[in-house]
Amino acid sequence: MTEPVTVPAMSLRGLTKVYGSLRAADAIDLDIPTGSFYGVVGPNGAGKTTTLSMATGLLRPDAGTVHICGIDLWAQPDAAKPLLGVLPDGLRTFDRLTGSELISYAGRLRGLDPAVIEQRRDDLIATLDLAGAARVLVMDYSAGMAKKIALACALVHAPRVLVLDEPFEAVDPVSATAIRRILIDFVAGGGTVVMSSHVMALVERLCTHVAVVGAGRVLTAGTLDEVRGESELEARFVELVGDEREHRDLAWLRPS
Amino acid sequence: MVATILSLRFVSMRHLLMREKWRQIILGAAVLWMLTLIPQVLWGYSALTRAEPTARNAALVTLGVFFALGWALVPVLIAGVDDTLDPRRFAPIGVKADRIMPGLLVAALITLPALFFTALWLTLSASWFASGPVTGAIAILGALIQTVSLVALGRLGASWAERIFANRLARNIAFAVSFFAIIAFAYFAWQTLAQGLESLFEADFDVAIGALEDTPLVSALAAAHAAEQGHWAVVAWRLGIALVWTGVLLLAWRANVVHALVTPLHRSGGTGPRTDTVVRAGRRMILLAPSDRVGPAGAVFARAARAWRSDPRYITGLTAVVLLPVVFVTVIVPVFDLDPRWTFAAPFVLATSVGWGRHNDVAYDSSALWLDIVAGRRGGDVMRGRFAAVLAWSLPLVVIGSLVVVGWAGYWSLAPAVVGTAVGALGTSLGIAAITSVVLPYRTPAPGENPFGAEVGSVGAGLLGQIVSSVATFAILPFVIVPCVLAVAVDARWGIVAAIGGLGFGVAGYVFGLLFAGRLYDARAGKLLAAVR
Repeated sequence: MTEPVTVPAMSLRGLTKVYGSLRAADAIDLDIPTGSFYGVVGPNGAGKTTTLSMATGLLRPDAGTVHICGIDLWAQPDAAKPLLGVLPDGLRTFDRLTGSELISYAGRLRGLDPAVIEQRRDDLIATLDLAGAARVLVMDYSAGMAKKIALACALVHAPRVLVLDEPFEAVDPVSATAIRRILIDFVAGGGTVVMSSHVMALVERLCTHVAVVGAGRVLTAGTLDEVRGESELEARFVELVGDEREHRDLAWLRPS
Repeated sequence: MVATILSLRFVSMRHLLMREKWRQIILGAAVLWMLTLIPQVLWGYSALTRAEPTARNAALVTLGVFFALGWALVPVLIAGVDDTLDPRRFAPIGVKADRIMPGLLVAALITLPALFFTALWLTLSASWFASGPVTGAIAILGALIQTVSLVALGRLGASWAERIFANRLARNIAFAVSFFAIIAFAYFAWQTLAQGLESLFEADFDVAIGALEDTPLVSALAAAHAAEQGHWAVVAWRLGIALVWTGVLLLAWRANVVHALVTPLHRSGGTGPRTDTVVRAGRRMILLAPSDRVGPAGAVFARAARAWRSDPRYITGLTAVVLLPVVFVTVIVPVFDLDPRWTFAAPFVLATSVGWGRHNDVAYDSSALWLDIVAGRRGGDVMRGRFAAVLAWSLPLVVIGSLVVVGWAGYWSLAPAVVGTAVGALGTSLGIAAITSVVLPYRTPAPGENPFGAEVGSVGAGLLGQIVSSVATFAILPFVIVPCVLAVAVDARWGIVAAIGGLGFGVAGYVFGLLFAGRLYDARAGKLLAAVR
């Protein structure tokens, strides 16, 4: 059955999470079009990770709904989760497996046939420049290598929507280029990427759409051109988030 | 710098107390406990004052040895509860070890336990004033030296433990050495106690005290006894070796601080198995259903089995559950001259300990949780795979253990009853543990951290989880165990009931527990990560 083009890859409605007096996510509404490369940007503590965690089934929201390609994630996880590939930020990975074993593990969890897993595992390891580390325990990986192997786990079942929380953090430039190429190809092939990042230049370079999140709310969202207007994304971001810090002249900091 | 470090400690402690209420409860309970000990300390002081000098010395030396062991071990066991003054926190400031050492020492000396023990030693040592003011003064001096050495010993133990647990090779060696040390100690205790406690006290106690007096662990406390006898050279010797010992401990502690300031926690060079053992793992695992062997549960089994082979947290748990029944059979039964049939309790204790020990199983798996959760509704697969990995070593252990005690006691006719009941205890307790681990998970040390450590913030939740799993286990276990007790003590014909009933309860408890736990896991998937990460 062909899906209507209008169904968003991900649709968040009234997504809310409250920790004590802190509203980490405050009634977030967001539609992420199918086939888009969507950047979610915001200052530290804006609620990006909380929102993406709720959007991927890792954290139950206090209120609101998440639909993946029209399927309610929290009501029908069996149908929705296979469509998702997830790279969380700040979560430890089971690190007593080698890199290749971790990818195989992710593949088996997703119900793939061993022969298929082996082929995709080897492809991912080669593409992500992990061949030398494939037989090393993940506990001995650097932060960047751990990020790459987690990305491979997110990709192994060929999802339709990739949700990546800070995918380029701690990754070296060569690997970052490889990851960018994979993601651009993924979107070109009809997939959808949702990516959080602090690096505005990266978002401007890669993303077709962007949402600016601040204080648990979506401050603005749309295509890249709609959001940044005539200025650069960083300037627009600062304008939206507000730069209200007191600017003092730190004269004492200058070498005499 | 001392004032700065002290103020840092007190401000941090105040903020932590305000942020985490359980700390206030623990602090209040600790103060209350110490207050309740005051009458006993005063009674001890009074009794020691009236005692003969030799008996007074023996009491203080014995107490000193136990406290020294406690100060060496407790900071290791409860590491993580208070890491405010972890030297590694000073590393980014670029400060030298010698600048912070005095502050660290004073801060360590004015913790609640240190203050309490200082007061305790001073009070008990003051009983030496009954033998004259000079003897009393030497006893007080010895008590002060002893306190500083205990605090240094505690800090050193904690910092060494951290270094050991941060290095895989050192950790494995430490575990191997500890394991053999425990076995050697159990054998020594067995041999010693088998001769009878009375003969031990009559024959060896004075010799032991005499030997201990001149060891650095308690020589400071024994100096007063030598003073009372007018042996001033011995006084100088005992205080001297205590001072040297304290100096050595402080230098070793300083060396660890120097190391910590320039050595962030690191990973090793990296080696691993050559082939991917996960992609086709579980295919021959008879403890899994055929469909699970090729599915996700087989992968979870492979992963959990790896953890049982290589993760110190799991290996520690495995060692602990084996130790108790071994000590029961090899020490308790012979020492108290119990009927050989008492050994039948050992496999039940083993099985129940294995099951109860998994009551927080999901939290131990925290690092794999996100991958399992994003993959879909995998609760059933996760629980079946994880618990099959427990059964893979515990089921043979319980069955073999049952046969060993039955054979040793010479009651082969009761073998089906004992084996059936032990397997029943294992299955039901694992089933209960599967459910509580999903319903009441609490934070545990992450992989690679001190396996004995209590995760900061987990104490309250942990207590609740342990109480609930204990109550549930002990409410159901009698149904499994009573027929076996009747078979052993009343009529052997109960044996068939025990065998069949035990196996039935075990299989049903295990299957139902995992089924229910798997469904709960899926229902609570969005909350589990927040509870254990």
